[in-house]
Amino acid sequence: MDTGIRLALTLSQIGAVMVAVLLTVAALTLLERKVLGWMQDRMGPMEVGPYGILQPVADGLKLFFKEDIIPAGANKFMFSMAPVLSLVPALIGFAVIPFGPDWTVDVGGVNFKPFVITDINIGVLYILAFASIGAYGIILGGWSSNSKYSLLGGLRSAAQLISYELNVGLSIVGVLLLSSSLSLVAITNAQAGGFWNWYFFGGGGFPQAVAFVVFIISSVAETNRTPFDLPEAESELVAGFFTEYSGMRFAFFFLAEYGNMILVSCVATVLFFGGWHAPFEFLQGPESIHWATGIFWFVFKVSSFLFLFFWLRATLPRLRYDQLMRFGWKVLLPIALANIVLTAIIAFLFPGS
Amino acid sequence: MKLKEWVKTLLFYEIALGMKATLSHLLRYKPITLQYPHEKKQLPSNYRGMLALLRYDDGTEKCVGCDLCEAACPSRVIRVVSAEVPGEPTKRYSKEYYMDMTRCLFCGLCVKACPVDALGMTQEYEWAVYDKRQLQLNKQQLLAIGDRNYPIREKRLEFQHPNVAYFNVGFKDIPQKE
Repeated sequence: MDTGIRLALTLSQIGAVMVAVLLTVAALTLLERKVLGWMQDRMGPMEVGPYGILQPVADGLKLFFKEDIIPAGANKFMFSMAPVLSLVPALIGFAVIPFGPDWTVDVGGVNFKPFVITDINIGVLYILAFASIGAYGIILGGWSSNSKYSLLGGLRSAAQLISYELNVGLSIVGVLLLSSSLSLVAITNAQAGGFWNWYFFGGGGFPQAVAFVVFIISSVAETNRTPFDLPEAESELVAGFFTEYSGMRFAFFFLAEYGNMILVSCVATVLFFGGWHAPFEFLQGPESIHWATGIFWFVFKVSSFLFLFFWLRATLPRLRYDQLMRFGWKVLLPIALANIVLTAIIAFLFPGS
Repeated sequence: MKLKEWVKTLLFYEIALGMKATLSHLLRYKPITLQYPHEKKQLPSNYRGMLALLRYDDGTEKCVGCDLCEAACPSRVIRVVSAEVPGEPTKRYSKEYYMDMTRCLFCGLCVKACPVDALGMTQEYEWAVYDKRQLQLNKQQLLAIGDRNYPIREKRLEFQHPNVAYFNVGFKDIPQKE
C-alpha cells in the first residue's frame, strides 16, 4: 500500500518535472533565437504565430516529418542509441535538484518531499557522474555514423568534455568543503537567510566567486555552447558529431544540449546562489507561501543563468581548439585547485564560521 | 602597465566590454529588419530588374527584329527570329523572341543597343522559380511583362516626328501566332 502511494507520487513528480523541462526546452529554442536577434538588431522568428511564438511547434513538426536517414555502413544499433545516450543523462540529473523548500508532507502514511524527486546524499556526485556519461552519446554518435567528419567531431567533443568535466568537479569541491555535504538539499538549506549566506558571496566563511567563474566557464564548455561550441565548428568539421543525423534523432541531441543547459543552470543556482532562497529573508514571505516564492526565486535564478548563456553566445566568437584545451588545462585547472586549497585552509582555521 | 593588463585579463575586462555592447543593443532595441514578403524595399529608380518588350500606345510592338540586342548581349541571352512582313518586303518584325533569363546579368546593353527603344528594364526582381525552364521567356511573356510595368506607352514614332518615315508594322498586319 505504502509502496504504491510512494510510486504514484514519485511518478507524478517525475512527470511534472519532465514536462516542465521539455516545455522549457521548447521555449528556450524560441527565446534563444529571439534574444540573439534582439542583441544583433534583428527580429528573430516572426512568421509562425504572433511574434513567432509558435516557432517551436513548427520546428517540432518539421523534425518529426523529416526523413530519417541511417547511413550505409553505419552501426545501426549504436547509431540509434547514441541520441538516447546523450539525452537521458541530461534529463536524469533533475532527479536530485531541489526546486522548492525542503518540506516533508505526510500523504497516506508516506513521507513525501514535494519539491525534490529524491534527496540522495551524494546528489552532486550523481549529477557529475551522469554528466560524464553524456560524452558516450557524443563519441558513439560520431563513431557509429561511419563518417570521418563525424568521428573527428565526436573525438574532439569528447576531448573537450572530459577536460572541462574535471574543472566542473574541482570548482564544486570548495562548496562541498564549506557545506560538508554532497546532498543538494543540504547545500541549499545551508545557504538560507539572505544573499550573504550564499556560497558565491561568502557564505560558510570564504566567497566562492572564483570557483563560480570556473564553474560557469567549464559548464559552458561542457554543454557545448558558444564560445566553446567546437562540436559544431562548421568551418572545420561539417557539423561535428551529428553530421549524419536527421529528423528526431538529431532533435534528441538538440534536446540534450538544452536539457544540459538547464541542468547546469540549476546546479549553479543550487551550489552558488542559494537555490530557492530569496536574497533577503522578507522577500520569502511567510512560511506558508515559501513554496511559491521558493519556486519563483529558483526559476528566476535559473532563467538568469540561461540568459547569461544566450548573452555569451551573442557576444563571443568561437575559440580555437588548442586555445580551448590550453585554457581548460593550464588556466582553469590551477585556479580551481588553488581555490580548493585556500578554501580548505580557511575552513580548517575558522571552522563553523 | 604590465600589472594593469594582468588585472584586466583576470577580471575578463575585454569580455565584459563586449557583453556590455551586446546588452546595450538589447536594451535600445531598434531592429533594422525588413519583413520582406510583407514589406518591400523602395528601389532606386535606376534599378535594373527583369527585361521586357514594349509596345506603342496603339498596341503595336516596337520591336523591328533588327537583331542588334542579340548582337549586343554579352552572355547570349537573347535570340531573335525576325521575318518579313508578308506583302511588304522592306518591313520586318520579330517573329519569335526568346530570352534565357538564367544567363542574364542585367547589364542593360541590349536596352542601350535597341534603336527603337523596344526593350526596357523593369523593377521586377521576384523571379525565383522551381524550374529553370520557366525562366526561358518567349515573346508573349516578355510583352506581358512590358504591359504590366509600362502602362504609359509612347506614341508611334511617325506620330511623334512627322518627318520620320513609316517604318514599323501595324499590329493588325502581323500574322497572328497560331
